[in-house]
Amino acid sequence: MAMAALRRESRRFVPFVSSPNPINAFRSTIAPTEEQVGLGVRSISTQVVRNRMKSVKNIQKITKAMKMVAASKLRAIQVRAENSRGLWQPFTALLGDTPSVNVKKNVIVTISSDKGLCGGINSTSVKISRALHKLNSGPDTECKYVILGEKGKAQLIRDSKKDIELIMTELQKNFLNYTQVSVVADDILKNVEFDALRIVFNKFASVVSFLPTTATVLSPEIVERESEAGGKIGDLDSYEIEGGETKSEVLQNLAEFQFSCVMFNAVLENACSEQGARMSAMDSSSRNAGDMLDRLTLTYNRTRQASITTELIEIISGASALEG
Amino acid sequence: MTLNLCVLTPNRIVWDSEVKEIILSTNSGQIGVLPNHAPIATAVDIGILRIRLNDQWLTMALMGGFARIGNNEITVLVNDAEKSSDIDPEEAQQTLEIAEAALRKAEGKRQTIEANLALRRARTRVEAINAIS
Repeated sequence: MAMAALRRESRRFVPFVSSPNPINAFRSTIAPTEEQVGLGVRSISTQVVRNRMKSVKNIQKITKAMKMVAASKLRAIQVRAENSRGLWQPFTALLGDTPSVNVKKNVIVTISSDKGLCGGINSTSVKISRALHKLNSGPDTECKYVILGEKGKAQLIRDSKKDIELIMTELQKNFLNYTQVSVVADDILKNVEFDALRIVFNKFASVVSFLPTTATVLSPEIVERESEAGGKIGDLDSYEIEGGETKSEVLQNLAEFQFSCVMFNAVLENACSEQGARMSAMDSSSRNAGDMLDRLTLTYNRTRQASITTELIEIISGASALEG
Repeated sequence: MTLNLCVLTPNRIVWDSEVKEIILSTNSGQIGVLPNHAPIATAVDIGILRIRLNDQWLTMALMGGFARIGNNEITVLVNDAEKSSDIDPEEAQQTLEIAEAALRKAEGKRQTIEANLALRRARTRVEAINAIS
């Protein structure tokens, strides 16, 4: 009891080491603790360390909860993404996916997330979009952006503001379904002139791997041009096109349908990748917080023992001074 | 020789197995597809798809899309598809009545077009249940 009272009293005289930058002071207390104790001054009080431990523990709890939320959201959306994968494969089988097509007007559709704390997926998408932009802008070709998602907008608006045609955010606020995406696709088709659309997104390969992918959708005129040139799309000619007044009308409908199907799949895959990346980011964050907590506990114990030893020394030397 | 039929919608795969013959509704009428059909790519209207498996006919309501037929493989991509066994007759009839009422009340070109589309969809679903032949 007396010890506790003494300890409380002594705390008032402890010079506060950790003032302006708590992070640095933290690291520096581990070294000078020994010498400062030798000088008879308790360097850092246990109160400070305890506060820090409390905040780190809170962070660990929050990140663990975020990881579980992301895991449950991932499970829900993964099923839908896999179901939607079958949708664009027939289009690729029929029309081919030719990223190396040479066209005048390119439009890059960058799909990114609205919320942060999801690892590096948005940066990779933006990096790829910028690279595509560079590849495709030449003397007689132009390249524009259409951005979906807040994070992509924040990164691209800084240096490519004049090249951005359309920005859409908060897609995931209402439940993602095909009707909504087809309205978005319709919007893009109406407002943006293009010869080729390159959709950049993160494909969900597994819970730990997200591959940045580009899907290319060509406008109907280019499809006609390429089908005459031969190659994969040349096979299109072997099909007799029915259902509509002219071949070009059917091709136009086909291209629009292809765009909305590919967009739907891309948006779902990107949402999956976002949740998966958030899971792994929050997981490593909780593990980091755990490590920090361990180090803090060691420091706390060391500080506590040092202060007990100092008090003991004082009491004993005081008592021996009184005796003799 | 059998045909391999795949009916896909954005949300799920509705049908993926072998059939003997199908009858598809396109913009220019109904076409019947037997094995070894010539390759065609066609737009599919809002209508009924009939599938024959071994003398038994199945009906499905399709809500518009595309079909590709080639090499004994048929791929149908539609906005939505429902098997007739999955449609509730009462509910389909009610939807039809609601759609008709909406069409009567529609004003303006856009609303009329949308009401027309909704009516066609509702009618297709009712027909899918009735036409089991």
